Amino acid sequence: MIMKTIPSTPLILKRAGLGLLALCAAVLTGCGGGGGEGAGLTVGFAQAGAESAWRRAETASIKDEAGKRGVNLRFSDAQGKQENQIAAVRDFIAQGVDAIILAPIVETGWDDVLGEAKDAGIPVVLVDRGVDVGDDSIYATLIASDFVAEGKMAGEWLFKKSGGKARIIELEGTPGAAPAIDRKKGFDDVIGQHAGMEIIASQSGDFNIEKGKEVMEALLAKHAGEVTVVYAHNDDMALGAIQALEAAGKKPGEEVIVISIDGGKAALTALVEGKMNCVVECLPLLGPNAFDAVETIRAGGTLPKWQKVDDQLFDADNTDAAFAENRPY
Amino acid sequence: MFQRKNIPLLATFGVLVVLLVVASVLYRNFLTPLNFANILRNYAFLGVIAVGMTFVILSGGIDLSVGTVMGFSTILLARLISVQGVPALPAICVVLAVGCAFGAGLGLVIHTYRLPPFLVTLSGMFLAKGISFVILPSAQKIDSSWFAELASFKLKVFGNAPLTVTTMIFFAVVSIGIAIAHFTRFGRNVYALGGAESSAVLMGLPVGRTKIAVYAISGCCAALGGIMWAMNSTSGNPAIGLGTELDAIACVVIGGTLLTGGVGYVVGTLAGVLVFGTIATVIRFQGLESSDARIALGILLLAFITMQRIVVQGAARGSRMAT
Amino acid sequence: MGNSSRKPSLFLHSSVLWPALGMALLLLFNLIYDPDFFRIGMRDGRLYGDIVSILLQASKLIPVVVGMTLVIATGGVDLSVGSVMAVAGTLAAMLVASASMPVAAAILIAVLVVMLIGSVSGVLVAYVRVQPIVATLIFMVLGRGMAMRLTKGMGVPIENEAFLFLGGGYVLGIPFAVILVFAFAAAVAVFLHKTAAGLLISAVGDNASASRLCGIRQARLKIGIYAFSGVCAGIAGLIAAARVQSAEPARMGELLELDAIFAVVVGGTALTGGRFSLAGSLIGAILIQTLVWTMQKLGVPSDVTPVPKALVILLVCLLQSPRFRAQLTAPFRRNPVMKAPA
Repeated sequence: MIMKTIPSTPLILKRAGLGLLALCAAVLTGCGGGGGEGAGLTVGFAQAGAESAWRRAETASIKDEAGKRGVNLRFSDAQGKQENQIAAVRDFIAQGVDAIILAPIVETGWDDVLGEAKDAGIPVVLVDRGVDVGDDSIYATLIASDFVAEGKMAGEWLFKKSGGKARIIELEGTPGAAPAIDRKKGFDDVIGQHAGMEIIASQSGDFNIEKGKEVMEALLAKHAGEVTVVYAHNDDMALGAIQALEAAGKKPGEEVIVISIDGGKAALTALVEGKMNCVVECLPLLGPNAFDAVETIRAGGTLPKWQKVDDQLFDADNTDAAFAENRPY
Repeated sequence: MFQRKNIPLLATFGVLVVLLVVASVLYRNFLTPLNFANILRNYAFLGVIAVGMTFVILSGGIDLSVGTVMGFSTILLARLISVQGVPALPAICVVLAVGCAFGAGLGLVIHTYRLPPFLVTLSGMFLAKGISFVILPSAQKIDSSWFAELASFKLKVFGNAPLTVTTMIFFAVVSIGIAIAHFTRFGRNVYALGGAESSAVLMGLPVGRTKIAVYAISGCCAALGGIMWAMNSTSGNPAIGLGTELDAIACVVIGGTLLTGGVGYVVGTLAGVLVFGTIATVIRFQGLESSDARIALGILLLAFITMQRIVVQGAARGSRMAT
Repeated sequence: MGNSSRKPSLFLHSSVLWPALGMALLLLFNLIYDPDFFRIGMRDGRLYGDIVSILLQASKLIPVVVGMTLVIATGGVDLSVGSVMAVAGTLAAMLVASASMPVAAAILIAVLVVMLIGSVSGVLVAYVRVQPIVATLIFMVLGRGMAMRLTKGMGVPIENEAFLFLGGGYVLGIPFAVILVFAFAAAVAVFLHKTAAGLLISAVGDNASASRLCGIRQARLKIGIYAFSGVCAGIAGLIAAARVQSAEPARMGELLELDAIFAVVVGGTALTGGRFSLAGSLIGAILIQTLVWTMQKLGVPSDVTPVPKALVILLVCLLQSPRFRAQLTAPFRRNPVMKAPA
């Protein structure tokens, strides 16, 4: 019988393997194990991901605030997967943290794990998105914007601005994502009430600039002659759409009204430059509110179930270059 | 001979032990029954999918559709129960049957038209993803008290460690998988098919039937994984699942099964899932930023795979020298 | 000596027939449904129209597909291309923006870095014998992390004119990116045709042990191919970043590996390695971009667009299966065997 021969590994590879092991150990130990010696509270923060400037700003806000208050923060990034986020909350419960801040990826699916947190006596503060649970005593409070209201604000601004006449291209977020569904609902409801305004095309730009531009190029090939408004569910897609409009020889901000939601620095700069007309804010800087809530709960106080974040609307009338320049994210 | 065949498997278990020891030194509360039980229930759905994938890979194929079939199953289950009002148990049976039929369909196309499994299951991946959104466009809560109770049922072992239904299903599936792979004629056929399809044909083995069955098993496991995902969150979501197929493949390969087919063990996949789950848990315990978490996962996987290959190749050379 | 039979053909080859037919069907559909599709106009000295836009959108996919074709021809697959794109685009943009490095130097460094990443994948595959899908999966995860690490996840705006020309420039009215990627693909095709490289790649993919016996240094060849795939993805990343005037490390090239594999297999390259067709892959890339474009114009809801994608891939593959073709044509064919007298 002929034995299958496997070529031998050169020695250098063995060394590389050992080196890698050492590197791993260095990565893990270098960053320090999870200590619990801090004088303050230990709070776990289960973040959804880091896919957008908005989310990174939210993470930074919570981390900064934890640092300011001397809170020992346990951070976990779910990389966009709910199962990871549920696992992270279970870790926090197992580690016996004093409170959990959760930015849920989706609204559904939290009954069980938040119930476990409640059983363990750990209060949960939700940020930026609510949860759909049977028993709302399993979380302490929600600090979030109202996505439907954001869409509505955009729609109502447009109604006033356009005098009730508009042919709209809508760039939706990632299919199935809560902000995409709610921002569409809020906006489409307003548009549906006015006969002169019509959404002529609605496609997903996946919340990113590349896809936003490509979808806009395709939609412009069909609707360039009639479109008067672009409504994008986030800044990045609106910025992509502006580039597509310019490439098609249309002046964004003048010939075509551009509306976006989120309100990061890039969008506000475009607003000041006149390439965008309206930006509805969705504030990610929730750190101070979240830790205020944690402290209130620890002190035995009660909080409303939903602390709505006061979102503003920016347009040419209330925004100047200095404001855009000073935007922290 | 027997020992040499087991080297990849032993290497995996060996490195798993090292990993657990290092992690328990680095982190307090790591090597507790509670945390171990959490690792099991967090990755039970992935484990079940990986067991199905093991059969496909042993047969020399690959199934890229399992991730989105899982997502599809969660939303189908949620729709059947919450929208259609079907009782939970029949709904679960329907979902399993649909997953099984979907897999069998892919297997049928692969076998009948001699098409590469990679390709056909890639198309299955897109198909399942698109259909998920037709079933329901967004996440849906599962309104069934029976299902919710099943999902939250916990057997307390070693003090406070919860043994959930999903964990039990995972162990059951691994046991059944081992039994099928090593103690049935079908199992031997799968290995023979993966070893060399042409010889399997010459030996008169039922190649077509085996192939279709293998993809049906994988589809069924993906559907079961979906049901377990739904139990984990008492909801269905059409947007999830993409990428899980790669995690499952990684688990199978970590477990020592060769992608070329014919070589590997179902119990290796159990080890693979535990390694994968432990690595992911270590990264969460460390609280890394998204970017660093990815880098750490990449480096740890790289280190693991490299060490495993070095052990296996070193052993192979050792035994060659011995003979 | 009959060396023409095994050489991968640049021109019409039987394997190009089926993707070309698929493309023709899609174009025919557009011709009927949307006559504007074929209109090409001139605005400010620039060509515009659906076809120009589709080619421009395909300009980031085409280099990736060129590299992927060769990787798949050796019997492997490269899942890391999307992340590698993000590394190259982000690194180059960062070097130009914050280190104010000349564009050429920044691009060179970015390309060298991704070449290194590719060659490490190659070493894993060729020497450590890690299966390609796993080796490149590791770099898919690792590469994305590295790209995000560079900028703490932030996007890097690109303002340098020379850099932007890569994605938004025009030469003689034609988008520069389109000229660049087609010239690149043609250069690779000519190189493979004129040298023994194409033959060697096919040989390695076809039968690795036989080619080893024939003295082909297949390990080095494989490392070279994965490094080349890294470079291809790097070029794509530079174009993609320049196209949107910003490098987004978290999102750039996301899931592009699936489109690239789709294009290559639809183009007639066997996933088992060996036979490959660059021309087929290019048609595959344009086919997928046209399909996406058509669905967007038709207003197919975004969440169900994977379904038509799945059906096209299945159809083109089935057409490549001799058995399926036989079944398809059976009702229209007189079959002498069936009619043989009893």
